[in-house]
Amino acid sequence: MQNPYLALTDAFNRGALRTLLSSGQAVVMHRLAVMSKDGDWILREDPAAVEHVLEVLAAHGARYRFGAPLDLRWLAGGWSAHLEFPQNGLRIRTDFVSRPPRISRDELQAMWSAATDTGDPVVGLVPLAAIKLTNREKDYAVVGELARAMPDPSDQIRFSRSALDLLDLARQHPELVAAIAADRPALASIGKGRDAIEAALDHERRTLMRNNEQRLQAYRRASEAWATIWTDLQREIGTLPLHEAHAKMVQRALGVLPFRPPEIAP
Amino acid sequence: MTGPRDEFLSEEDLDIRHLSDDELSAWWLLWLQLAQASNDVDAGAYSHGVFEWDPAVPRPPHPRR
Repeated sequence: MQNPYLALTDAFNRGALRTLLSSGQAVVMHRLAVMSKDGDWILREDPAAVEHVLEVLAAHGARYRFGAPLDLRWLAGGWSAHLEFPQNGLRIRTDFVSRPPRISRDELQAMWSAATDTGDPVVGLVPLAAIKLTNREKDYAVVGELARAMPDPSDQIRFSRSALDLLDLARQHPELVAAIAADRPALASIGKGRDAIEAALDHERRTLMRNNEQRLQAYRRASEAWATIWTDLQREIGTLPLHEAHAKMVQRALGVLPFRPPEIAP
Repeated sequence: MTGPRDEFLSEEDLDIRHLSDDELSAWWLLWLQLAQASNDVDAGAYSHGVFEWDPAVPRPPHPRR
């Protein structure tokens, strides 16, 4: 049996690059750790790409979980769409975003360009590290390993979670550390020794975690009305073929789930 | 760097870099199969995206409550 998430990535991208494998399964593809049983993809903002992915999911008998519709009007506002289906005794969960957090529009465009050029539909080390700066402690261990795997020392300096690694990088590349320090205040502690860098990294991690918590709170507040009708809607659409369920989901979400939370900047 | 270094993931985790493609595929699949044991507990949870819990799924009691 082929790995279901790789098989899905192949199916999503058959004939054209439409999705990038992200998050936990991308971490596996970078050979760092096996640590997630769900699949997460970045979806290209192209209506034909969305339609193709829906067709693949429909062929697997997928059903919507609570989330936004797989529709670019919501995905472009940073929402995520979630579907799942059973396969060979596995619960296959498929999660989609088109605007991954902490990735600028230019960076996102560069990710698509790189994947097109290389034919590799897996999110690269650097954007993967940015995506992993979440409100979960365990993700920072992954970022630490991702940083060590980055070939460019500038990227290592931007993402390293290790005081010892940063001290070593500062010895080898003092000019890079000085140049990047304006964007990463924790680097200012490098001259103060290991304890100071570790304290700065801890502070940076807590700040990043709070920032992501606040981002999720904005989406939670904006989806409160949607959450109140979801249980009934799920009962209504749960047995329908996916395309019918999708049409009803979109119809019901209009006017209830805003395309973008008011607190989230375009 | 030759001295001690900060550790993030275990050697067991990182050992997948030494696996062949076929070995990685087999281990990954086995891991996914074993991970299904927690499906009841995380039925309403999200690993990715902007949602945290499915309102249609009752939250399981916290083990320490």
